[in-house]
Amino acid sequence: MNKTLLGYVPTQSPIYAIHPFVKLFFLLIVSLFPMFVTAPEWNMLLMLVLILLMWISRVDMRTLKIYVPVAISMGSIIIISYILMSGTHPEYQLIARFAGIKVYWERVRDAIVVYFRILPMIFTMVFFLSTSRERDVIVAMRTIRLPFVVTYVFAMALRSAGMVLEDFQIVRQAEQARGFDSTGKSLAYKIRKYVNYMIPLFALSLRRSEEFTNALVARGYAFTGEASRVKRADYVLTHYSFKYFDAIFTAIISISFIALLFMRYGYDYFAIDQSILLNWLKNILM
Amino acid sequence: MSEQTTASEITADEIWEVQPGERRSVGVIHIVITALLIGIGFVVGAFGSISFPLGFGVNFFWTGIAVQQIGAVWFGGWGVLAGTIFPFFSNAIAGTPFYVSAAYIPANLVQAFLPAWVFRRFKLDPRLKSGRDYGILFLAMIVSSAFGALWSPLVVLKGFGLLTTDSLPLFIWGWFGGNVVAGLVFNFVLLKALSAVVIRTPAFVKRWWS
Repeated sequence: MNKTLLGYVPTQSPIYAIHPFVKLFFLLIVSLFPMFVTAPEWNMLLMLVLILLMWISRVDMRTLKIYVPVAISMGSIIIISYILMSGTHPEYQLIARFAGIKVYWERVRDAIVVYFRILPMIFTMVFFLSTSRERDVIVAMRTIRLPFVVTYVFAMALRSAGMVLEDFQIVRQAEQARGFDSTGKSLAYKIRKYVNYMIPLFALSLRRSEEFTNALVARGYAFTGEASRVKRADYVLTHYSFKYFDAIFTAIISISFIALLFMRYGYDYFAIDQSILLNWLKNILM
Repeated sequence: MSEQTTASEITADEIWEVQPGERRSVGVIHIVITALLIGIGFVVGAFGSISFPLGFGVNFFWTGIAVQQIGAVWFGGWGVLAGTIFPFFSNAIAGTPFYVSAAYIPANLVQAFLPAWVFRRFKLDPRLKSGRDYGILFLAMIVSSAFGALWSPLVVLKGFGLLTTDSLPLFIWGWFGGNVVAGLVFNFVLLKALSAVVIRTPAFVKRWWS
């Protein structure tokens, strides 16, 4: 199994045949798709495609459970924002009224549009995080020729996040070993006690920064001055080659985006008025 | 008796002024500290984003503010840089879309920059020795969070069409309260507990970059 940024994926997963740059390109471009699509059925289709890609990539779908509360919370916020706090709008079509709240068709429609716009964006991010390893992100950044210092900081930040999590567990277990138990305590109490974790976390990181620096200096690393201008051998990149199917995937993603823009602004496709789902829902509610 | 000045003897002015004979330059340690701050912020910020979500990366209690503001006070531009970058990652893990996170950058930049700037501009003591230190830091926290709270819902979330005008106050107060309350809980304690040590480390930044 390979540890990705969000979970584990089998080493034999077909996703590893694809160059990391293609995955980053996919994230950057496909995240834009829902911004130009208002008809929710198209965004649902995009979500299905993303789930299919995750399944093909053999992503452990259980890791996605943490996003269920996120999806529910976002849905609730959108409902509160669009439907319950919609105010009074005589220009809109009233479909229901309860407890002094007026429910308008236009607000229900907009809530659905927004929710199904945001979900595919989240799915795209989750697909990237659950299929990319730390090294993949570094390779993708180096492929687009980002300066060494940028990729190095990024790599170290990802590594240190793992270390901070480990430190957090150590501090927590040390407190528990001394009899600290927050079970059944109020949220305010837990928040107050969270400070007890923050101080050692910061202190450990400060100490570690000196250890890291000494190790880097001892190995001749320099990010400024003459020494930083020496051309570096990039061993990681030698393990990856940009194959013909990577070029095909990149072209497909680019062409899809251009086609989407062309159809959206040239022919008014993917608009609310053309939405089969919304028209069907309107007929039911009105 | 040692001729070396102890941390308790250093005045607030001396903390921020480069002393005669003192050499300060950008070094590997600053790059390392930036990376580590991004790492801490990633974890701490994601905790806040997942535990107390309001939606679209806005939280009722955003613990990441401590890393954002304290890191910038201690490490100047490097802390500001880290404070601007790490929310991008913590938001991503918490399920905020890529481009929404990217659009939050100006808010996070100001939230990190302002406390760092007031400490340097008014020569405040990061060990919080006087009421003035507390007061100005508190004001900086309020103003910077107010900017973030206005920028993010009004410009970003409204711009992306994610909110209606009627629901904007919920998000403005959510962002503002979530940051200020978390800042009150963590910032003062962290500065008080660790500043005396940090100002003596080579990683501490007196000006903006060294």
